Amino acid sequence: MNTARRTALSVVMIGLACLVALPLYYIVVNTFKTQAEMVASPIGLPPSFSLDNYVRVFENVPLLQSFANTLYVTVVGVVVQVVIGAMAAYGMIMRATTFNRILGLVLVLGFVVPAQSTLIPLYRMLVGVELVDSLNGLVIMYSAGAIFCFFLIQGYMRTVPFEVIEAAMLDGAGVVQIFWRIVLPLIRPILVTVSVFQTMWVWNDFIIPNVFLSSPDKRTIVLQVYTTVGEFRTDWPSFMTLSVIALLPMVVFFVFTQRHIVSGLLAGSVKG
Amino acid sequence: MALTATGTTPPAETSTTRAVRTRPPRSSGWRGPSASQLFLVPIVAVFVVLFLIPLAQSVYWSFTDFTGYSADVNFVGLANYGTILRDPSMLAGLAFTLLFAVGTTLLVTVIAIPLAVLLNKHFAGRNFVRSALFFPAIPSMAVLGLVWSYILSPIASGALNTMLENLLGLGPVPWLSEDSLARMSVILVGVWGAAGWHAVLYLAYLQSIPADLHEVATIDGASALQQFRHITLPMLTPGIIVSQFLLMTGGLKVFDLPYTLTKGGPGFATYTITQSIITSGVGQGRYGLASALAVLFTLAVAVLSIGQLIISRRVERNIL
Amino acid sequence: MKRNSRRSLTMIAATALALTVAACGGGGLAGGGGGEKLTFLSWSGEEIMAPVVADFEAKHPDIDVEVSYAPPVAEYIQALQTRVLSGTAPDVFVIAAENKTNLIEGKHVVDLSGEPWMSAIPEFNKKTYGKDGAVYGASTSTWGAGVAYNKELLAKVGAKTVPATWEEFLDLCRKLKAAGVKPYLEDLSQMPTIVSSFVGAHNAAQDFTMDQKIFSGTTSFEKEWTKPLTEFNKLYAEGLGDANAVGLTSDQVFDEFANGRVAMITSGPWNVAPLKKAAPDMQFAIAPVPAAPGGEPFLAGAASPGYAINAKSDKVNQAKTFIEYLVSQEGVQKFQKLSNDITVTKDYQPVLDPSLKSIVKDVRAGNVYLPMIAWTRSEDVLNVEAVAQIQQMVKGTVTPQEAAAALDRKLASS
Repeated sequence: MNTARRTALSVVMIGLACLVALPLYYIVVNTFKTQAEMVASPIGLPPSFSLDNYVRVFENVPLLQSFANTLYVTVVGVVVQVVIGAMAAYGMIMRATTFNRILGLVLVLGFVVPAQSTLIPLYRMLVGVELVDSLNGLVIMYSAGAIFCFFLIQGYMRTVPFEVIEAAMLDGAGVVQIFWRIVLPLIRPILVTVSVFQTMWVWNDFIIPNVFLSSPDKRTIVLQVYTTVGEFRTDWPSFMTLSVIALLPMVVFFVFTQRHIVSGLLAGSVKG
Repeated sequence: MALTATGTTPPAETSTTRAVRTRPPRSSGWRGPSASQLFLVPIVAVFVVLFLIPLAQSVYWSFTDFTGYSADVNFVGLANYGTILRDPSMLAGLAFTLLFAVGTTLLVTVIAIPLAVLLNKHFAGRNFVRSALFFPAIPSMAVLGLVWSYILSPIASGALNTMLENLLGLGPVPWLSEDSLARMSVILVGVWGAAGWHAVLYLAYLQSIPADLHEVATIDGASALQQFRHITLPMLTPGIIVSQFLLMTGGLKVFDLPYTLTKGGPGFATYTITQSIITSGVGQGRYGLASALAVLFTLAVAVLSIGQLIISRRVERNIL
Repeated sequence: MKRNSRRSLTMIAATALALTVAACGGGGLAGGGGGEKLTFLSWSGEEIMAPVVADFEAKHPDIDVEVSYAPPVAEYIQALQTRVLSGTAPDVFVIAAENKTNLIEGKHVVDLSGEPWMSAIPEFNKKTYGKDGAVYGASTSTWGAGVAYNKELLAKVGAKTVPATWEEFLDLCRKLKAAGVKPYLEDLSQMPTIVSSFVGAHNAAQDFTMDQKIFSGTTSFEKEWTKPLTEFNKLYAEGLGDANAVGLTSDQVFDEFANGRVAMITSGPWNVAPLKKAAPDMQFAIAPVPAAPGGEPFLAGAASPGYAINAKSDKVNQAKTFIEYLVSQEGVQKFQKLSNDITVTKDYQPVLDPSLKSIVKDVRAGNVYLPMIAWTRSEDVLNVEAVAQIQQMVKGTVTPQEAAAALDRKLASS
């Protein structure tokens, strides 16, 4: 590609990106406005950048504790899901029996069941094992995402050059060794991608913590956002401000990880 | 080109053919060591505990008058199923749910693949563009729905309408208050929300294409379009299957986007099945009815999506 | 490189664990009032309820109230429903229109009618959350919604207030429209305030027996609702109201009013404080909905959700002490100052904004009507149907009579 075309591509893509991200501007800009300014002009720039919303939120909301809760649930929850999903995808590729192929299709049911209709049975189950109103209970709920991870990882594993695994087996490597030493590094791009997606989900989820948590000291950050919602009116400046505070770690996380999604390890190992 | 040949004929082992033949030959029923079967145990446990048992519970409740408040219930046979099939709003919900699922699946796929190919090229500001395109997947739908309801506000002071008025002198467009426009708006916002992250998903698949494949093809004199058709597309096929499946199931289960944008209106124009399940189960204390709806819905989606999977695997085999 | 990223992940996980442990420890210490723990799921937001609870705890050091919150309405109902079913519901929660039938029929709530402090609560509120003489919720306020008007914009056509009859109201709208002022806007994603008021006045004229008669089959929605809907629809048939309002949220309607872009909206007391913040210079007030032909000016509204005690609670006495405080003069005063609700308890006269002057008396007397509360079964099903039918009627795709008849069909099939 020559320079002129590359520049043109840059311009077009950056323009498109700005257009797509326009609502982000709207969310961020409104956190610097008073309620009156937000009502008068929801889209425009604030007459003066005021940090009052942030000051108020930091003073009134136990942010540190909520972040700690969210971080714990997200890190443990996502690791559990991705590990279970990757293991299953690997097991399925290693043994392509008819039984496993049918099992793969049955697992698909996990996508299909509407989450809302299983909330009550799941809640009762967790009451039975005394994991309601506990962060570890949430981790168990989120391990349901393993099916999603499995599905994505399995799809990706079909692009893995099988000769590598065959060669390793001929060299006498064990199943666990192959999984850990060969397969996991090979599928790193999809592992990162899946982890990013699941992190976004767990971090932002409202439905499950709203139903499963009741103690104030266990609240996740998204539950804090929703304390600003009232029956007749919502405190939008606080809602937006808390949303931005809740999102910030995710944005940093994504900017940090997105280069790993495309680290291109695979090409190297095939050639080797 | 030799690229379309499958692994059945033993061609000279060039780097190109070797990289493309990646799938284990399915017909021969590849079996690794039986120890690898143990890797499936955790997911089966997750599936049984978190999906199968609750689903069985729902099936049981669908035959009862369960209110969601007390566990002593009466058996009512198929009454709940009868109520659903006689309800015109359910049909409206079904129609829009299907439209949304199919519409977003097609549009997102058509947009995300070229987008991923472009994102895979080198250009200034690429990291910024990737992050920006991924952004809609980050905030909760409650925030995004609110933002879009201001942008698409159907009255003259709505953000988009103000812009159209200033630039083109158009009168207010009833984005969310006219049936077809409301349906279109909800679908397009859905596409906006999903296209970026599906492009990132495809990007991961593009990474699995060895760079030398394109180099060799370029030396062979293949055009960009030919390379896309014969190298990129086949390598993306597993990704397409995954992405379409996720879009389809996600689309069929959609709830929060139409709900925050239009609450299902005008009339029942953007009403969804999931909204119906939630309002009858939670708002109306008709948990038995909601369970029956969930069971029917699960069956329908299962048939649709497994059908979709089987068809796309066939198509994939023909492409490879 | 690889080792690095793995190490940083481990560090993140370790930090998360450390923070959580620290956080839990902190929580344990902060809650140490030494008293018995009473759990409470609040309907009101934290900025309103936390100071009220703090005041209660100061006066009753033997009771520690652990408050949790879920945003109303759907999320609250869902969280409570799940917990009630599983026997993990809090000691004190809220009984609302959406869950009262199920809570009462499932015997999940304690009858409060014998408590001496219940005498402060008016009959209207007791009846809303009661059944067969028993009362299951202590509802301390009532909301009522009418027409909010911008005095400056009305003055442009020489009007001082919202007129008392519907014909005059439509006339006012015509004049405003002719003068280039958008007359009226409302949020049509819920039951319109005007429809509730018209039907409410119609019901009052029949000694409050209309809904009973509809549900027992001696009359029908078609007979009772067609006229009110026809009157309401004149707004839209003539283009005085904006049919695009079906795609608006109540926040957007509020913004239009606050920016002086519309002369009248339907509104309850909850908009007063935000309006004073958003448009400090605006002169506005809220008036009852004008009388439809043959009716009286009326208000849409209902008794606010009541405090209820979990029948399975082992701290019923402490729970009663807590609710006794919430309905007491000082408890209501504290709550009212923060919430700006129109409280109705007999021993406390709320200090309210002057803009509410012309509706306060009726609200406190319980002269308000909301179809969903008055209906005796399938409330939410009918409400969803009514809203959808009204949206279609406003856009001209169904007639008022067809819309009313659709409600009869819905009632028959559910």
